[in-house]
Amino acid sequence: MTKLRFNTMLLAGALLPATFLITGCQTAETRTVDASGPQALNTGGINSQDWANAADQLVGSLLSSGALDKSPTQPAILAVDRIINNTQLNIDTDLLIKKIRVALTQTGKVVVTNTMGLGERAVVASEAAELDEMTTGKKAKIIAPNYTLYGKLIQQTDRLNGVTQNTYSFQMSLVAVKTGFTVWEDERQIAKQTKKSAVGW
Amino acid sequence: MKISRRFLCAALAGGLLAALAGCATNVNTVERAQPAATPNYISDKRVVTDNTLARTVRVNAVNQTVVSGNLLKVQATVENLKNDLRSVRYKFEWIDQDGMAVGSPNEGWKVLNLQGRETTTISTVAVSPRAVDFVLKLSEL
Repeated sequence: MTKLRFNTMLLAGALLPATFLITGCQTAETRTVDASGPQALNTGGINSQDWANAADQLVGSLLSSGALDKSPTQPAILAVDRIINNTQLNIDTDLLIKKIRVALTQTGKVVVTNTMGLGERAVVASEAAELDEMTTGKKAKIIAPNYTLYGKLIQQTDRLNGVTQNTYSFQMSLVAVKTGFTVWEDERQIAKQTKKSAVGW
Repeated sequence: MKISRRFLCAALAGGLLAALAGCATNVNTVERAQPAATPNYISDKRVVTDNTLARTVRVNAVNQTVVSGNLLKVQATVENLKNDLRSVRYKFEWIDQDGMAVGSPNEGWKVLNLQGRETTTISTVAVSPRAVDFVLKLSEL
């Protein structure tokens, strides 16, 4: 009887810490990190750091090229064309294009037209323009852009010896509207290698 | 017994050296003897808080230019002092005339992979004409 009680106590003593351990492991911990900082998760996909990196390099390349300096108007009027997503990822291309738009606008060398392409003319802005037309009786004057910007995201996947490499290409071109000439284009690549764990499911 | 120990040590050291030599991915370079480029080098101030990093990766020089009329572009020449592949993080920050930080949507830490003894350049363009100064931050990966 004493032995049985001892065994029960032993079992309980062993189970209690195990229970604490398991419940302790299940505690969710959330922390706020810098989206493009060192703590950002690095995955096989395109993470926040990659978007910022690609945008920074493309903007740097465009500004260094001097293409915008030859614009007929200053600041240059830019319309954002399509950004084709040819990756396997379901992503919003604004993650790239918005960063480029913001950076270019900050330079003061570009104004982005919202009347065509991927312009972000909000409903209220559109209604306000209509209202302005009605009250003044004049059709709003729309200025044609000097340049259009279009891009493409491409993913290439290679596998060798248990390592998967995803190479993401960020292609971008600036086209002069009057001539149809491409006045600047560049491509930046980010390659991600993921090694599958030898042990595990 | 003594000889065999010595022999074993020599064999181990030899094996280790061979293994290290096999792993080395150093970079050899060839360039113009008298460079035609005349970079605008700037004097810099350095603050080292990570001595290990300072012994691994060194910023050899920083030069600057102006692009698109009034935007500063800085370029740092970075060298891997070790004989194998090293990765570091870096980040450029811009500061305006009043000493205020000039934020950019694309400002963030970037990864730089350097082969053994490789020298390369990292650069960035200020997205605001207000930017007059910069800070380059380096961190271990």
